[in-house]
Amino acid sequence: MLRNLKFALNSAWQSFWRNLAVSLAAVLSITLILVLAGVNLLVGHAFSQVLDGFRTKVSEISINVSDDTPLQTVSDFQQQLTADARVTSVRFITKEEALAQFKADPQNVVFAQQIEGNPLDAKLEVHVKNLGDVAAIDTLARRWPGVDPADPTNYQGDFVNRMLELSSWLSLAGVALLLILMIVSVVIVMNTIRTAVYHRRKEIEVMKLVGATEWFVRGPFVIEGIMTGLIAASIALALLVIAYPPAVDRFKSDIGFIPLSYDPRFISILAQDLLLAGALLGALGSYIGVRRYVRI
Amino acid sequence: MVLTPDFESRPVISFQRVFKTYPTGTEALRDINLEVPEGDFLFLVGPSGAGKSTLVRLLIREEKPSKGKIFVDGVELGRMKRRKLPYYRRKVGLVFQDFKLLPNLTVYENVAFALRVLGEADSHIRARVAEALDTVSLTGKDHTYPSNLSGGEQQRVAIARALVHAPRFIIADEPTGNLDPATAWEIMQLFLRINARGATVVMATHNREIVDLLRRRVIAIDAGQIARDDRSGRYHDDVAKSQVRA
Repeated sequence: MLRNLKFALNSAWQSFWRNLAVSLAAVLSITLILVLAGVNLLVGHAFSQVLDGFRTKVSEISINVSDDTPLQTVSDFQQQLTADARVTSVRFITKEEALAQFKADPQNVVFAQQIEGNPLDAKLEVHVKNLGDVAAIDTLARRWPGVDPADPTNYQGDFVNRMLELSSWLSLAGVALLLILMIVSVVIVMNTIRTAVYHRRKEIEVMKLVGATEWFVRGPFVIEGIMTGLIAASIALALLVIAYPPAVDRFKSDIGFIPLSYDPRFISILAQDLLLAGALLGALGSYIGVRRYVRI
Repeated sequence: MVLTPDFESRPVISFQRVFKTYPTGTEALRDINLEVPEGDFLFLVGPSGAGKSTLVRLLIREEKPSKGKIFVDGVELGRMKRRKLPYYRRKVGLVFQDFKLLPNLTVYENVAFALRVLGEADSHIRARVAEALDTVSLTGKDHTYPSNLSGGEQQRVAIARALVHAPRFIIADEPTGNLDPATAWEIMQLFLRINARGATVVMATHNREIVDLLRRRVIAIDAGQIARDDRSGRYHDDVAKSQVRA
């Protein structure tokens, strides 16, 4: 077994160097594909980071309390909401606190100076577990007699629904793009290995005639495919690691309102994904590429 | 020592009503019945396209018969599972007209190749290859590449590769086809020595002089059928010829 593995590794290494031009072309093509796949993963991750931020914001609903609502009614409703399984937490903000919060926001400096008295409502800030349940809590709040009928809640139904829709479409597009990239790289490896098989057809014929098993013949090609995939994945990873932080910085300076940030923890996940994908795609491409030719 | 095949015992190779028709419709073999005892030396003769090579391809299971059964060493080749095939081929030593040597490997590596695919240890490979090269009188040419050898020497390398794993059967398809008469005769001496050690030899050939000189068993194939089976035959059926002349 070990001897066969040694033979396969030697053959794969020799074949890789013997067909260097074709091997390098395959490495470069797969590197490009894996860079695209990596960018796709990074963009997906960045988008999910941004979405998580938005989700935290939109999964919080503020219920404005009408000025004439007795404190006891507010307290009862707060308890009712706290007991609700869909709700994580409920916090009561008095009119004074609301005004203080408003004034503390640097964006409201000019406006705050012009305010006379306290036009703001007291409010109940409700955190909902699932984004999809915000609408139900909003409906519940609007039916509550203590709510300010002029401005009941800050719920923006359309925005949340669109966000959810956009998020699912983007994930779908990401998966589709990854699938296309995978198919393309399998085809590239397949053709590279077929070239290697063509160069070594006499050797394969002799192998079969002297009693080599199919796996003995196939092994070196599958290892060569894995090697090609791993080299390409390593180059792609190096490029992405170098380009990731400056790309995030550039994005942040250009489009500041989207809260994108550099996440060093994601690099290890990306490395794992790319190396695994490179090895698997290489193995699969060469397995398919060589299958027909090594049938004994 | 020359082994005399025992024609009474169970044959090691047996063709039973074998037909081979290619997908193109060409009928390469028709109703072949043949029994080869262990230790036999058998010539397959006949004009080009008669079906000799098809018979060889069936024997090494590169092809399956369209009808009938082929048994080798008690195993029916037509029903053999694909994964068992490499193990069957390890019992067989194959020699071809075009030698089928790997040009980028040395003489030693070419012969060792047959043992490498079996996963043998290096020390074992070294000893067996040295022995095989000694048998074919190529000791000292270990590091030479096939392109630097004569045709006869290349065929001797191929024979060394065929016998290095001590096969029970040697199947040769026109092994002297590319060689001059003197070299062809040297190569035949090698086959006789291998046969004398106990291996059964089946050889397709066009070499009339050699067949006539050795007077071994001759199976003449014509238009896909066995036309003649002589235990000590010649290339042409002289009796038939003289009858035609008369």
